[in-house]
Order: sequence, then C-alpha cells, then structure tokens
Amino acid sequence: MSTFALVDVNNFYASCEKVFDPALASKPVVVLSNNDGCVVARSAEAKAMGVPMGVPWFKIRATFERAGGVAMSSNYALYADMSNRVMTLLGNMAPGQEIYSIDESFLDLTGLPNPVAIGRKIRHEVLRHTGLVVCVGIGPSKTLAKLANHVAKKAVHDRSGVCDLGAMTQADLEGLLRHIDVGEVWGVGRRHTESLARYGIRTAWDLRQADPETLRRRFSVVMERTVRELRGTSCLQLEEVVPAKQQIISSRSFGAPVRRMGDLQEAVSLYVSRAAVKLRRQASLATVVQVFIMTNRFKSEVPQYSGALAVPLTEPTDDTLRLLRAARYGLQRIYRPGFEYVKAGVSVFGLVSSTGWQPGLFEAPGRAVERGRRIALMAAMDQVNAKWGRGTLGPGVVGLQESRVWSMKRGKMSLRYTTQWDELPLVLAK
Amino acid sequence: MTVLSLPVGQCATRLGGPEDSPGVLLPALDPPTCFIPLGAVKVSAGFPSPAADYEEDRLDINDYLVRSPISTFFFPVQGDSMEGAEIFDGDILVVDKAVAPRHGHIVVAFVNGERLVKRLHNRHGQVALIAENPAYPPLVIQDGAELVVWGVVVGKFKRFAV
Repeated sequence: MSTFALVDVNNFYASCEKVFDPALASKPVVVLSNNDGCVVARSAEAKAMGVPMGVPWFKIRATFERAGGVAMSSNYALYADMSNRVMTLLGNMAPGQEIYSIDESFLDLTGLPNPVAIGRKIRHEVLRHTGLVVCVGIGPSKTLAKLANHVAKKAVHDRSGVCDLGAMTQADLEGLLRHIDVGEVWGVGRRHTESLARYGIRTAWDLRQADPETLRRRFSVVMERTVRELRGTSCLQLEEVVPAKQQIISSRSFGAPVRRMGDLQEAVSLYVSRAAVKLRRQASLATVVQVFIMTNRFKSEVPQYSGALAVPLTEPTDDTLRLLRAARYGLQRIYRPGFEYVKAGVSVFGLVSSTGWQPGLFEAPGRAVERGRRIALMAAMDQVNAKWGRGTLGPGVVGLQESRVWSMKRGKMSLRYTTQWDELPLVLAK
Repeated sequence: MTVLSLPVGQCATRLGGPEDSPGVLLPALDPPTCFIPLGAVKVSAGFPSPAADYEEDRLDINDYLVRSPISTFFFPVQGDSMEGAEIFDGDILVVDKAVAPRHGHIVVAFVNGERLVKRLHNRHGQVALIAENPAYPPLVIQDGAELVVWGVVVGKFKRFAV
C-alpha cells in the first residue's frame, strides 16, 4: 500500500510578494502575467473580492485599486528562489520527491507511520523557514493525493490544511467525493467533463464507481488508470527524474506593437538565444527551428496577419549561432511589412540527446574541429551569463537591453529580494 | 592568498508551469564560496566538516554566518538606532527566519508596514522593541496589538571599498 502526499503553496506568487513587503500585509494582491496582461495569482483577500483567475488587468483595475488592492508584475527570480527553498526543505522531509511544478511537489510517504502528523510537520516547517503556507493532500495514489490537496485547500473537511483521504471510512469518502466536480480530478480535462456527463458521471465519486474497462473502451487507458487510482490502487509512480522536453518554446508578447523587420529580428534572436540555453541545459540537440509572428487578433480594426515557418537543419544542433541563422531565414520568409506585430516566438523540436548523437559518415573534414570549438564557445557564453546575469554576452543581433522598443512592460515589479545584492530588502534602524 | 570559486551553471531543477513562462535560471543553493587556506593556524580537533573534501581544510564564510541556507535572508541596514549593538548603517544583516525569537534577540519585525531592526524585549507579559541608541525610545507593543517578528538576526557583514 503506497502513501503519497501532494504539497502545494497557497497563492504562491502573491504569497512570495507578501513575505517581503510589509505594506502588502492584509491587502488584496494580484500578480500579473508578462506585460502586465492578466491576473496569474491572487492573494486570499483578492479571491474573497471575487477577482477571477486569468482576468485581463485593465478590466478590474479601477475597482480593484479603489478597494485598496495592489497589483504586482511577476518577479520570477524571486519566485524561483523561494520555490527552491521550499522544494529543498520538502525533499529533506520525505524519502522520495517529484517536483511537479514551481509550487507543487509530490512526496512518497510509503511505510511511514502517521502521515497526517507528517503533513502537519511539513506545514509548520515550510512556514517557519520561508513564511509561506502550504496545503498537504495525502492518499494511497497520486490522483487521490492531488484530490486530497484540493479538499485541504478548499477547507471543506476542516481548516487544518492537511487532508488524508487514505484514513477515511468509505462513508466519509463518499460524502466528500460526491461534492467534488469530476473536472477537479487530476487528469480529467475540461474536454472530458462534458462527455463523462453524458454517461452520468458528474462527480469524483461517480468516476470512482464507474467501470474501468468500459471507460477504457469509451475514453482511453488514461481514464481507466484514473478510475483505478481513485479506488486507491497506485498506478503512477513518482517521476524523480523529469524526462527531457520534446519541444522548447520561447515567445513573448511585446510591450508595444512592432512594425520594423529589425525589431522583430532582435526579438526573435533573443528568443532563439533563450531556447538554445534551455537546449544545452537539458543536453538536447534540435533538428527543426520554427519561427512565428502575429498581429493582435483581438483588435479587429487593424489588418491581421500571422506567419509561421519551420526550418529544418542539416544536422541537429544546440549552437545558438546556427539556430539563429535558421530562425532569421525563416523570419525573412514570413515577414510582411505594413502590419503591427504584437507577438513573436521560436520553437525548437525534433530533439535528440546530445550525448547519443552521431555525426554523419560523409561530413566534411574539419567539421568536427569546428563543432568542438563552437561547443566550447557556447559553454563559455553560458558561464559568463550565469555569472554576470542573463544577456551579458550574446550574439550581436540580439541588441542592447536599453534600446529594445519591444521589451516587456513591467509596471510594478518588486525587488529581487533574494538573488541580487543591489535589490536586497532594506531594514530600518530608526 | 584568497581563492574565489564560483559554481557555474548549476540549475538544479527544471520548473514546470506554462510553456510560455520565462526560462528561470535557478540560483544555486550553495552560493559562491570564499576559501581562505589555513596556514599555520592551530585547530583543535573537533568534528570534521562534512563539506571538507579537500587535502587542506579551508574556512567558508557561509558556514560561519549561515546555519540554514533555506531560511536565511539578507537585509541591508538603513539608520543608526542599533549602533549600541554594533549594527551600523550599510551593514548587511544575516537573518534566519527559522530561529524562534526570544527575549534579548535582535530581530527584524514588520511594524505598521515597515521593516524594522530592534532588540526584542519579552518579560512579565510585556512585549517591546528596543533600540540600541539612547536617541530612540522603545516601541512598546500594546495589549491586543500584533507584533510580527519576521526573523532573528544571527550575524552581519560588510565589504570595504579598496
């Protein structure tokens, strides 16, 4: 019998902001996506005000600020550091850990006595070390642990922030799962909720009681597995080693609309650089680079155009300069003058492992030497950027930080309180 | 002789989240280390440091100042109210959030929307934040008022321009 826990931080981004800024203490806080576009996180107070997730900022701004609410631009350097602290602590508290996202982690508690007490200890320790509040869901399968976490967060059962579905009687479990929408179950997408409803499956309990064989025929083996997991049979193990991504996308919306080819080229080059860094970090080589540009679909009064082109490479590579050449070629092919572009991006796919890749038998002599030099150059560039900050050294076409007209809007960015010497939080001796 | 060794390219975890989220470079949990070789210094035999993997024992300022990297944060000081405790304007405080605050500790506290550094007084049911400079009166926490002690100051450091 397995025991899993799913630990996640309550309102993670908004909570990070509150940990360091005393002025935000009891205020409603929202964190906005890149370019201050949409709400991506809400403090408890903002949720209580009824601010919906994902709502465009301009729609709620007036009411929210009148009510004393504060909006912050997303500060990923801070969130990443706080996430690291939490994840390290959690990893030290359990025999097995799978980091599921920036603010969620599965833990394997199999064989440990009194998982609820461990859950309470986890909550206490994370709060003590970081000032962040977590909820802990516990169950005999990952799917039940995730569902238990949902129960703990919504405080339907009690307000302790810890919920163990494995310790419940059948009757209690039924009472609980009957009130949970089937869409809340891990792995059941919004797409499936409608089709499940056609078979009379509307709650988590309905799904648990459904026949797994029938669901496999009507849906998929994934749905069958979900049913078995809901019944307490663990089918999904912890993934302690995250598989390498099969595609890397780097794209952003621009702070201001862009018309000129030169500006697009700068932006695309920057995205290529970032994708290449990610490639090298996961030891992959790309065989295809795709570049895309688009106008604002939501402004029907301006002329619309979007273009995309995938450019195959002669050999798989993680070399920024080679990827750049391909992406710029692609951009030249799809660029049309006379449009206001609001977003561009680059994705690399057809990824192969850089350790297992063999060069072609008939490649030109000297090619291997050149490749070796390039690998050394890229490694040096990555090291310089790791030491002195992203964007210190890069291809000339990426342009200089200050001159970018298309750079992101970040209206109210908090300081990088934990990762920059010149942005540490001041404390007053007064 | 001082050796500065910088861990490079340590990105321990790949974070999930939306594909569109920016590439997050995770700061290494073990920060840059400053090694000072021990010359002819006599060291009494104690526990060997588990981090010592070298021929020659070296001292690490992080080991000395930071007990728990997960719960340690740095705060620069502005002002002179703690000079009696040898905390000066411009010093960087090492603050451990996981230490339970007790009477007599120097603490970082959130009071009325500000971050303050004071000495915590907690005796006979009376709670106050005390400055270490006669020019500043103590801040007595009234009954019913809440005091949020953010963390305990466990050290400080400063670098001189040379």
